[in-house]
Amino acid sequence: MSMIPQLLFTGLGIGSIYALVALGFVLIYRATNVVNFAQGDFSMIGAFIMVVLAIDLGVPYWIAVIVAVVTMAAFGILFNYGVYYPLRHRTFLPVVISTIGASILLQNGVLAAYGPHPQSLPPMLPFPGFTVGGVFLDSQYLLILVVTFALVALQYLFFERTMLGKKLQATSQDKEMASLLGIPVALMIGITFAYSAVLGGVAGILVAPLLFVSINMGSTIALKAFAASIIGGFGDVTGAIVGGLALGVVETFGAAYISVPYKDGFAFLVLFLFLMVRPQGVFGEKVAEKA
Amino acid sequence: MALLELDGVTAGYTAVDALNGISLRVEDGEIVTLLGANGAGKTTTLRTISGLMKPRSGSIRFMGQEIAGASANAIVRLGLSHVPEGRRIFPGLTVRENILLGSSNRGRVPRAELDRDLEAAFGIFPDILKFADSPGWTLSGGQQQMVAVARGLMARPKLLMLDEPSLGLAPIIVQQVFRTIADIRARGTTVLLVEQNAHMALSIADRGYVLETGRLIVEGPPATLLDNEEVRAAYLGGRVTAE
Amino acid sequence: MTTNATLSHPAPATSRGAIAGGIVLAVIAVALAALPQIMPLSGYVLNMLMQAVTYTVAVLGLTVVLGYTGQLSLAQAAFFGIGAYAVALGTVDYGLGFWLSMALGLVASAAAGAVLGLTSLRIGGHYLAMVTIAFQQIVTLVLVNSIEFTHGPDGVSGIARPNLPGVSLTNGRAYLTFCIVVLYAVALGVWYLRRTRLGRAMQAVRDNELAAGVVGVHTYRTKVVAFTISAVLGGLGGALFASGFSYISPDQFSFAESVVFLTMALIGGVQSAFGTALGTGLLILLPEWLRFLKEIYLAIYGLSVILIMVFMPEGIWGLLERIARGGGAKPAAALVTPRPFRLEIASDGPAEFLETRGLAKHFGGLRAVDGVDLTVRRGTVHALIGPNGSGKTTLLNVLSGLYKPTAGSVTLAGRDITRLAPHERCAAGVGRTFQNIRLFRSLSILDNVLVGAQRPGAPARGEAQLRERAYEALGFVGLADKASELVGSLPYGHQRLVEIARALAGQPALLLLDEPAAGLNPTEKQDLVGLLRRLKGHGLTIFLIDHDMAMVERIADHITVLNFGKRIAEGSPRDVLRQPAVIAAYLGEVPTHGAA
Repeated sequence: MSMIPQLLFTGLGIGSIYALVALGFVLIYRATNVVNFAQGDFSMIGAFIMVVLAIDLGVPYWIAVIVAVVTMAAFGILFNYGVYYPLRHRTFLPVVISTIGASILLQNGVLAAYGPHPQSLPPMLPFPGFTVGGVFLDSQYLLILVVTFALVALQYLFFERTMLGKKLQATSQDKEMASLLGIPVALMIGITFAYSAVLGGVAGILVAPLLFVSINMGSTIALKAFAASIIGGFGDVTGAIVGGLALGVVETFGAAYISVPYKDGFAFLVLFLFLMVRPQGVFGEKVAEKA
Repeated sequence: MALLELDGVTAGYTAVDALNGISLRVEDGEIVTLLGANGAGKTTTLRTISGLMKPRSGSIRFMGQEIAGASANAIVRLGLSHVPEGRRIFPGLTVRENILLGSSNRGRVPRAELDRDLEAAFGIFPDILKFADSPGWTLSGGQQQMVAVARGLMARPKLLMLDEPSLGLAPIIVQQVFRTIADIRARGTTVLLVEQNAHMALSIADRGYVLETGRLIVEGPPATLLDNEEVRAAYLGGRVTAE
Repeated sequence: MTTNATLSHPAPATSRGAIAGGIVLAVIAVALAALPQIMPLSGYVLNMLMQAVTYTVAVLGLTVVLGYTGQLSLAQAAFFGIGAYAVALGTVDYGLGFWLSMALGLVASAAAGAVLGLTSLRIGGHYLAMVTIAFQQIVTLVLVNSIEFTHGPDGVSGIARPNLPGVSLTNGRAYLTFCIVVLYAVALGVWYLRRTRLGRAMQAVRDNELAAGVVGVHTYRTKVVAFTISAVLGGLGGALFASGFSYISPDQFSFAESVVFLTMALIGGVQSAFGTALGTGLLILLPEWLRFLKEIYLAIYGLSVILIMVFMPEGIWGLLERIARGGGAKPAAALVTPRPFRLEIASDGPAEFLETRGLAKHFGGLRAVDGVDLTVRRGTVHALIGPNGSGKTTLLNVLSGLYKPTAGSVTLAGRDITRLAPHERCAAGVGRTFQNIRLFRSLSILDNVLVGAQRPGAPARGEAQLRERAYEALGFVGLADKASELVGSLPYGHQRLVEIARALAGQPALLLLDEPAAGLNPTEKQDLVGLLRRLKGHGLTIFLIDHDMAMVERIADHITVLNFGKRIAEGSPRDVLRQPAVIAAYLGEVPTHGAA
């Protein structure tokens, strides 16, 4: 009986991870018009920083989390200057390939430093979870849901209530006009990368105790997050969140009721159907015809 | 010393965006208008001054400081505000947010001061006050033009450059926009105005220049320009030499 | 004449240098193909060559779809896998033999490509990229999980090699030579494709999809065909690959591999078949070369990819081409005197040549065109004027089929064309130019005009006639001697003329011109007036938008004035330009009329 709410809970938890990474995709896409193929590797890097800090160096867990998040922000800025900024005046393809190159570099850099063996991280909370009405609420999933919700709420406040948030929005809507008003466009894009890296890193840190920390853990998450952002309507922030959550739920139910081996396929089947029926996504506007 | 002075500025590569040695000046407190047909280089001139395009040669001095080649960002910080063609309102931001962002060139400004400036902007354009919290894209062309000018004024510019503020507006709105421009000057802001509607532009300007294919061909006060054969031709959109 | 025109068409890098280059290339090609036969190759080198050759076949598919047509596909490894598994399962499980298995694989790749293309290419943008990502994932999952059919993650081993009549290819060296020969055929085909009607249409779509439709290219079909070709080449490469290595497994056909294929194409230079081969070879060799770096060699490889994109965004071949172009002589000018320009326009039919009734186009709440009735009479020059933003260009876009009208109808010579797509209207005889010139920027002037000449239903047939027709049109606007130059290098005024020539080459009966005089200097305007008068003399009906009243007054037989999407005046220039409503809305309060 409690099967359905149980699956819903798990699905939303996993969906939150997709949503966070999808959000990172969308923010960078809106600021630069480029799909960042290394977005998933931000999660991988975040998780590995945690392994280094919490396991290898024995830094207290929650301090390690804070250090990891700050490091991710710095990493995002570095990524911008190394991978996007030199190509900012080019068409999207060279930039896309550049992000692919970055993805290869990051995965194999970590591989060289850490070897191929997957690492594991302990759960972040000291208790396994609660049982409410026959549904077991795993503490890690709860944490994921809470953190995602808090991040989305914070992001909303930041974008809607602060001048800096408005400047970031203005930059993503019209870079040239933004520069005419004296908004430092390059800095705004740097901040966007930093924030996207933090989102990806947080997703990696949160999901690490559920999965093994491996160099290609980001790839699968990123592909699903990408699918989620298309389903939501590419470039739309709300769409990315809703798409991510929906995908997590669909996948969990699909695995439970249809087929476990094809679990990873449901996301893409849904994506496929969406692209056929409603290519602009749930929240996307109709593709404008412009001559 | 002129507020703005261009000397032998060349820019652009194709015939539509080429400037072939433009020299002009704008004195403090003037309204100067730049006239010419489509593709004569008016927009390019403004884009080059505001730093969106880099000049290939020549000098651009603003308040005595060389600004040729500086970034758009740096130039607007000096107090030179450019309201580009097509209004360029941020569609996803509200009218109030659009106007507030106009102050981005001023560094840290106390909130109270921003609010005062915002109020003053709405004072100049009372018609847009009721749309203050509507997203930019919902406004009509005329309303968007007012937001664009208000946003430009939030920069507290010493020189305001307006590119075709009458573009696509109904005649009655055009008259209103021009009255406002005259009003802005009366409050102490110098204006460089690019227009296709030469008659309207010359009715409020102190001096005017006429551009043709990237070159200035005449300069003078409105009366002189209105008498000038070339201007009359340019103002109907270019010339065809007699057969 | 015809031969002349053919001879005088130089590929952009014609000259003795290119011929010498071609010979060198041919020698290297033959030497490479013969290499496995004469030189003893270690198994390691043999495998690497096998991989490079079969990969290149697949990556050449990306040259067609991305390089020529500008559409991004991220499933090339999936098509590669379809071909490979067809041969693997066909030969191992079903005993079908290599050739039949390969044929089935190619059919399956083509079918999958066509279905994906048909469903995702109707809309522009990057939908193909997204759909192909989904397809790629699903293929991978099926390969891994459908164990009874595909053998699952263990892969398939013992894949047979084919035999040709009299020649056994079971030996690795013989098989490699066979693959090299197939690669040459494919590369030659892809290289030649660029010079065909279809290839030109693809490049037109890539450079400017909107303009391609308007000059008669069936853009949707062209994209689907390109993608299908790409899928088939992917399948072919995969089929060769499977037999080459005799063992395959699902991880060789994953999304990561699709990305590798894409990177190979772009690193080499995706617009050229040679560049593709170069990039593929390099990216297969690069990791091997970097092996001395031990653990970090793949990281360095990733870094190299970034650096190549930063410093060579057009790929290695693009850079080589630029160097060659910079150093080499200018392309030779055409040596032909084109035949005089002809237009065959039926003179029967109604005098009301183009008619709109209640034509409207709304964008959300904005009524850009708001119920316009318009009659353009056969053989006249009809001008449309009005303030900026009054809906003139929108009206022109509705007339040429770029916008679907919200309401109303358009008839051309009595035929209702309201529902026709841009390329169908072009076939019906509507040609047009754009306000912001839309040429195919990476093509030569001649190729631009050829795209116009090859529109469906045009009288010119065959490459020779097309060329002749293109030269006639270029001669008419006075640019025949510049035919082989790239359009990007032309001054603005000449670009306008190329656009007109491109429209004329398609034998239009109605020419729509959007601000043809904008940005022209007085001499060029004078020439334009002469040109339009000569066209009118040929019986062409011209409908134009312009702000230059002096010019409009001189050439227009009839003027329509638009304001806020509505017609506010209509009549002869003399009458219309003096109407108070027109003066108030558009001309301004003019005390005395202009200089014309």
